[in-house]
Amino acid sequence: MKEFEYLKPDSIEETISILFQYGQKAQILNGGTDLIVEMRDKIAQPEYLVDIKAIPQLNRITYNKQDGLNIGATVTLNEISNSKIVQTNYPILAEACKTVGSYQVRNRATLAGNICNASPAADTAPPLLVLEAKVNIISLVGEKMIPINQFFTGVKKNVLKKGEFVTSITVPPIKDKWTGAYLKQGRKKDVDLATVGVAVVCIRDEVRIALGAVAPVPIRAFKTEELLKGKAIDEALLEKIVKSAIAEVLPISDIRSSKEYREEIIKILLKRAILQAKGGHTL
Amino acid sequence: MKHKIRFTINGDVKEIEIEPNKTLLKMLREDLDLTGTKEGCGAGECGACTVLVGNKPVNSCLMLAVEADGKEILTIEGLSDGTSLDPVQESFLKHNAIQCGYCTPGMVMSAKALLNRNPHPKEEDVKEALAGNLCRCTGYQRIVDAVLDTAKKRGKK
Repeated sequence: MKEFEYLKPDSIEETISILFQYGQKAQILNGGTDLIVEMRDKIAQPEYLVDIKAIPQLNRITYNKQDGLNIGATVTLNEISNSKIVQTNYPILAEACKTVGSYQVRNRATLAGNICNASPAADTAPPLLVLEAKVNIISLVGEKMIPINQFFTGVKKNVLKKGEFVTSITVPPIKDKWTGAYLKQGRKKDVDLATVGVAVVCIRDEVRIALGAVAPVPIRAFKTEELLKGKAIDEALLEKIVKSAIAEVLPISDIRSSKEYREEIIKILLKRAILQAKGGHTL
Repeated sequence: MKHKIRFTINGDVKEIEIEPNKTLLKMLREDLDLTGTKEGCGAGECGACTVLVGNKPVNSCLMLAVEADGKEILTIEGLSDGTSLDPVQESFLKHNAIQCGYCTPGMVMSAKALLNRNPHPKEEDVKEALAGNLCRCTGYQRIVDAVLDTAKKRGKK
């Protein structure tokens, strides 16, 4: 690992000024489960490493019916999946957090980190996409809120500019009764990256669909969602839907699976997720 | 630049000056001579380096030593009290849950953490808690048995 200077600010203001001062030379250290491996392999070589885990405001989960859920940047995935608030109000998010890495990794890894790392296979991305989460970003210029479907810009790339960092993720409240599902296919049951991830949310006659690991970024399948609006689900419609979903994605062949296998799995998982979210049905 | 950090290791308070580019794993092994904690993959995949930080199991290869400042750390060396082994260790011996032994310290630490947070785990809970600890010898069954048996014995006491 290359040498660097380690900084541990205890306020957001101090972090902002450090990032402003050092620009590209600085990198945020949060859970470190991706970054430290990249530093070991000399893929990442920050000159200044800014550990944000001593900032108290970033370590909170809050919830109320008006504003929804807010998860601070340094809250770990285990803290989220064990949170009664999240389990009760956004179960698909709690479930997805539990599918990331191992128990040890989830004691360090964070939701903000999973998003900022911007892997196409990020397990938390599909549920955040169907829940229409917003990413809260701060810099010297001020604060802004970016919808999650505009946050990812490419493989391992996000919208964050020099001097900006993520303080929390907001999941808005859903006023109506809703149901959802997150299904993940990996090569083995635990501790694996997703080969395909599918999240579905049903709110009245609206169905939202998000897909992971099948395009350069995790995506919302907006066109496919249109086909479902107000329609009763039957086998013929499901066939139409999975065809449309395949047309919306751009899967690749890689170490984990071939493009063809991914397309097959999208079909199966998407049907299952829709039926599961609609309730009672299994496939 | 070295950083002065202060932490508790296996019950003792320790102060040390450490380079920021050193992982917790390297510090344990190289600076504190606590070589029970092993390096397998060095990338958070195998769990051989599992230690407890603030009672939670983490991969010590994925944490910088400087991040240990103010924390309480427990390694495999801290489990026995010198003359008698921890019940988890006893159970691993009894069930022959060890072959080459390289994964064992990490396995035992993950098991210990599980039993701390859930004194009566089901087989499924054990498998989930140990999913981040790879063993290439045993086929896992004896390890799972050893952990379940520790819980059962404790229940009887």
